[in-house]
Amino acid sequence: MATDASYGNALAGGAQTAPSRTALQIVHEWVTTVDHKKIGLMYIVSALLFLVVAGIEALLMRIQLAVPNNTAVSPEAFNRLFTMHGTTMVFFVGMPILFGFGNYLIPLMIGARDMAFPRLNAFSFWCTFFGGILLYLSYVAGSGLAGAGTAPDVGWWAYAPLTAAPFSPGHSTDYWTLSVLLSGISSIGSAINIVATVVSMRCPGMKLTRMPLLVWLYTVMSMLVFVTVSPLTAAQIMLMFDRYLGSHFFDTQAGGSAVLWMHFFWIFGHPEVYVLILPAFAFANEIIPVFSRKAIFGYPAMVAASVGIGFVSLSVWAHHMFTVGMSAGSNTFFVLATMAVGVPTGIKIFNWLATIWGGRIQFTTAMLFSIGFLFQFLVAGLTGIMLASAPFDWQLGNSYFVVAHFHYVLVGAILFMLFAAFYYWYPKMTGRMMSEKIGKWHFWLFLIGFHITFDLMHIPGILGMPRRIYTYEADRGWMIWNLIISGGAAIQAIATIVFVYNLVWSFFKGKVAGPDPWDAWTLEWAAASPPPPYNFPQTPVVESRRPLWDIKHPEDADAYYE
Amino acid sequence: MNKAHDNGQTVDIHLPAPTAWPFVMGLGIALMLTALVTNMVLGVLGVMLLVVSAIGWFMQVLPHEAHETLTVSSAMVPISSTRTVLQHTSESSIHRRILPYEHFRFTTGLRGGLAGGLAMTVPAALYGILRYHSVWYAANLLAAGGFTDWAGASNQFLSQFHIDGLMAAIGIHIVVSALVGLLYGALLPMFPRYPILTAGFMAPLLFTGIMYSAIGVVSPILNERIDWFWFVASQLCFGLVCGYVVNLHARIRTSQFQALPFLIRAGIEANRGNRESSEDKSE
Repeated sequence: MATDASYGNALAGGAQTAPSRTALQIVHEWVTTVDHKKIGLMYIVSALLFLVVAGIEALLMRIQLAVPNNTAVSPEAFNRLFTMHGTTMVFFVGMPILFGFGNYLIPLMIGARDMAFPRLNAFSFWCTFFGGILLYLSYVAGSGLAGAGTAPDVGWWAYAPLTAAPFSPGHSTDYWTLSVLLSGISSIGSAINIVATVVSMRCPGMKLTRMPLLVWLYTVMSMLVFVTVSPLTAAQIMLMFDRYLGSHFFDTQAGGSAVLWMHFFWIFGHPEVYVLILPAFAFANEIIPVFSRKAIFGYPAMVAASVGIGFVSLSVWAHHMFTVGMSAGSNTFFVLATMAVGVPTGIKIFNWLATIWGGRIQFTTAMLFSIGFLFQFLVAGLTGIMLASAPFDWQLGNSYFVVAHFHYVLVGAILFMLFAAFYYWYPKMTGRMMSEKIGKWHFWLFLIGFHITFDLMHIPGILGMPRRIYTYEADRGWMIWNLIISGGAAIQAIATIVFVYNLVWSFFKGKVAGPDPWDAWTLEWAAASPPPPYNFPQTPVVESRRPLWDIKHPEDADAYYE
Repeated sequence: MNKAHDNGQTVDIHLPAPTAWPFVMGLGIALMLTALVTNMVLGVLGVMLLVVSAIGWFMQVLPHEAHETLTVSSAMVPISSTRTVLQHTSESSIHRRILPYEHFRFTTGLRGGLAGGLAMTVPAALYGILRYHSVWYAANLLAAGGFTDWAGASNQFLSQFHIDGLMAAIGIHIVVSALVGLLYGALLPMFPRYPILTAGFMAPLLFTGIMYSAIGVVSPILNERIDWFWFVASQLCFGLVCGYVVNLHARIRTSQFQALPFLIRAGIEANRGNRESSEDKSE
């Protein structure tokens, strides 16, 4: 492994030649930057800050639910906690952090110098950042006109008619609406940028059939953002009209429809799960082959499955609404459509397993998290199939079984792959390796905490514990489960602290990484670590899906076979 | 990819110039929205920032995009593998030979599935006639899984003719039969030795096992009233007919066949694949 000095290819702008600067200069540099890498890092850091906040909210909820008849927080505060937790995790942690990785990696992976619209890129980041600030401003910016509460308390789905002015006086719901609206502007901007970059800025030789799978999946994800965020934005504007301009879109007492809001929300809300999970798949597609020392199994099938997931996921939203009382035909359609998602998803799982099969597996922390992801995503998919069946959903919809299911997806799959992505690309982003020793502590603690929390969370759900419940009586038989679940959440919190410590420690004390610490194959590893502002001094030319493999092994280049 | 250059030459690279206008515009829009829930003064400030930033942004990109020029060395980062010696694993061709040389077109599976589905209606109808004196009972029972208001339907109701029930049952039956037929088309070439046993008995019994464990979730009403003897009988009927139809069709050759020596492909010499495999193993 070489030191940074070996890769000193920049006469200007290289990290190792930068003179010392004042704090103001540094702030100015980051505020005015249009560099995709810095914007990516700002997305990631901002999302991590919100992750900590939303994580604390989750812990407060778990403290409240740990024992029966608890009053650790008030019922009003509890409503705000689950609303803010969900909204923050989806809009100000999940999407920004995934867009952050995409921003950082896509131009590097396709051999470009930057995103197609660098200024729009910066604008998108600032919109999402200010959106998050606006959401949390609700806690301190006064109680609104009617003096009825501060932070939003209508759930992250904000069902009508709960959001109507008579039931939600003051401005708490407006903070939710406006911040999510701002986040939507950001998401659309980022999605436009990703698609334009992928379509128009690939380096010579990088045909669509040679594009890294990560880039493919981000493209599909961006397409989904186009289709799904727009209805949500429209619905937010309609809700504002209802609340302030006297319209009745969702006012059931004046000819409006509360179910209309549900359709608007879930036509965004369910594909949103795929918006979040597709980048997690993308990380797995890059990390698993490298640490299995094999090319990805079934590249064309993986692309087809990703595009298939993109299409099918647009027709499953109403499985969140089985209990609303839709017609039998609608129920049947959404049951079948939801189950159909299992086909392309299953293809992916088989292909990842086939990639690992027979490989020379390196159990790095990134690979451990990836293997955890594989197992947990499978379980999450199976409980998803169970809930996709309308009769089953009638029994367990709105119970903690559902909470366990989607946290298995969001934490067990997405967050695990995010951790894997941190361990894998941190050396590229900072030039330093993350500590593998601390990383393994992080992995095992988080794995144990995760399974204690979310495996057992299915049980109170089956026993009838409704979600969003503030507290419960001691005779329900839920106490022991909730107590253990809260203990698991505490272990996850400790693991997260270990992770943050590792991030900070490695930044200052980590081993120097060099450009290609994992002996990997995609183009980002052909740039210095961290890459200079221009990424590559010359535009790369590629001849296969694994351009670095071709250089390292010219006698057995992929270009001969593709 | 082009290889590393170490010629020490310098090149000029143009990058987009840093600018604060995206930040200012984002702040302006955020303030405009914040004003709706706080104070209109913030809205005025937001509008001002929006207008100023829009002008500034335009001036950044029109008539020419502002950029900064970096002069950098043209040398690429050297790329090498920590694995200095590439070791080719000694390959055995066994794993290739266990893949089928021939398989069916997917339409074969569809045809087999539809034929099997048609055949399956005979025992299903027989069951209805013998047990409930109605040829429609089995169809209505199948359709009931899709109709929530049929959940508590009586046997008398299910014995009557219902056009919506018949249509739903036909739809469900065709889709499921076609899917299972596709599965047959894909699986049968992998079990070439005993096609009747595989298609006619093993697959239906496996499918019945899966249905036995899952039917309560898929269709509770079917679960309550299903008669497993007749169900197995109709599955066997499906399997035998579907397997028969699938096996009737000509197979097409896979890419594994293309890898065989010419003499075998031309039919001059017999394919000794399995025998050679065992010889390879013993070496």
